[in-house]
Amino acid sequence: MSEAHHGALHLRVKRIEAVTPEINRYTFSAADGSWLPPFSGGSHIRVLIPFEGETRRNAYSLMSSPYDTSEYQIAVRRVEEGKRGSIAMHRDIREGDVLTATIPANLFPVSKHARHHVFIAGGVGVTPIYAQLDELSLKGSSFELHLAVRGPEHAALGHELRERYGDRVVLYGDGDGTRLNSHEILGGLPLGTHAYVCGPSRMVDDVIGAAHAHGWTDSHIHFERFEDLGSTGDPFSVTLARSGAVVEVSPEQSLLEAVEEAGHKLPYLCRGGACGECETEVLELEGTLDHRDDWLSESDRCTNKLIMPCVSRATCTKLVLNA
Amino acid sequence: MLITGIKSRPVYDELTPMATGASHVAAAQGSGGEPLVRLLREMDPDQLSATTVLYSVESFTGKNHLADLQDFAVRELVVFPTNADAVSGLDALLATAKMGTRLYLSGSEGFIGTSMQVATSYGMNRDEVLREHAGSFVRRVWCAHCSHYSENVSRRIFRCPGCARHLIVRDHYSGRLAAFQGVKADGEVPGELPENEELDT
Ligand code: FES
Repeated sequence: MSEAHHGALHLRVKRIEAVTPEINRYTFSAADGSWLPPFSGGSHIRVLIPFEGETRRNAYSLMSSPYDTSEYQIAVRRVEEGKRGSIAMHRDIREGDVLTATIPANLFPVSKHARHHVFIAGGVGVTPIYAQLDELSLKGSSFELHLAVRGPEHAALGHELRERYGDRVVLYGDGDGTRLNSHEILGGLPLGTHAYVCGPSRMVDDVIGAAHAHGWTDSHIHFERFEDLGSTGDPFSVTLARSGAVVEVSPEQSLLEAVEEAGHKLPYLCRGGACGECETEVLELEGTLDHRDDWLSESDRCTNKLIMPCVSRATCTKLVLNA
Repeated sequence: MLITGIKSRPVYDELTPMATGASHVAAAQGSGGEPLVRLLREMDPDQLSATTVLYSVESFTGKNHLADLQDFAVRELVVFPTNADAVSGLDALLATAKMGTRLYLSGSEGFIGTSMQVATSYGMNRDEVLREHAGSFVRRVWCAHCSHYSENVSRRIFRCPGCARHLIVRDHYSGRLAAFQGVKADGEVPGELPENEELDT
């Protein structure tokens, strides 16, 4: 398997395909030709994109099969506004180039106990679902996907999935005047159904609202907003007590990623706040911790003595970790 | 140590209407009828008309709350002669139930535990279920030697109907088996049984 150096992978661009007028699909293999780290459906990587002398750190969901780690695939939609990392991906990156990326992390895994899975996505939001469906269809799980697109020329990914999964994939806005209605989709589903939504905030809120209206509890609703893929937030700095090193955590990287980039090691497994492996003791804190994991108990959180660096952050003037 | 403070024993809730639910299923056994009556009293007419009540009249303490339960205008009240029948009734009901259903369980630990196994098998999560213990703390015990389940065990030491061994009831509760564990009581010195006692917690 390709060794991650300081938490970073070196990926060679094997293939670039334009799948819609706005979306390119990139296929990567390890620059040294070895296997890439395994991942589960719903994972993302953060790609370090050189852009006019700076580096953009954009998160992209892995859409290739979790059962084939000889390559990773991501889809990048060109977005004109914002920090324009996607522009650089479309304009500057060529087949054969080597890019640096983080190890896959999963903040959007499928539920292991669901009896039925319902996916709702808009446009490029379908990318994490690609890998999730791969995982579920191999296990023989029951699922359906509802995908909204902005017109027939934007529907290529949807058509690809329809070819794989047939009627379990329903497209809306593919030139036939249909509109995705989450209230209708989520009505009358059997007990033990889980819903997953990936798209812009408006769509995510709409689906959560519809699920609540049908009496769903939050433990059955999973979402990923385009805006908050990965652990992002205000920058802060952290001191590692054992070496005395001070590490700056930028807005677009997790505490774990920043520590790794600075050449230090922390334990990890899921990189998504679920497994507990990265649990680290907080020795000193002036400020507040922003716990974003699913691991620590409510009482652990309140003591401010533990943090999960793979997802959690801090708003602080001082943070010292026993690491 | 064999006998310790029960850390694995489930922590129970108090039954109260879960307002965000679209449909409600309330299942109880014996003394569990009392918390159920309190729950139904707290429900508004819309919630009552969306509630199915399952009640088993089998009871260890002899308490029967059926007459009180019949006072409410619920969607349906189904009565069962035994706890096992009530649990199968719950199974059949949940098989066709829809998302948005809330479950309320009340009664002995064994009844709540086995009902919870059914709920879990249909993918219900803890935020969709409330459980309130009622009646005596008799235990459902799983024999570690022959896998026999004994209901309503009230003494620390008892003879397993499955393999006739004397078992000591450990305070370890398995949520998966919905039972306490029973192990050979004279494991240390054959024939020498530890002191017997009433199981009160
Ligand atoms: S690595 Fe799994 S919780 Fe942080």
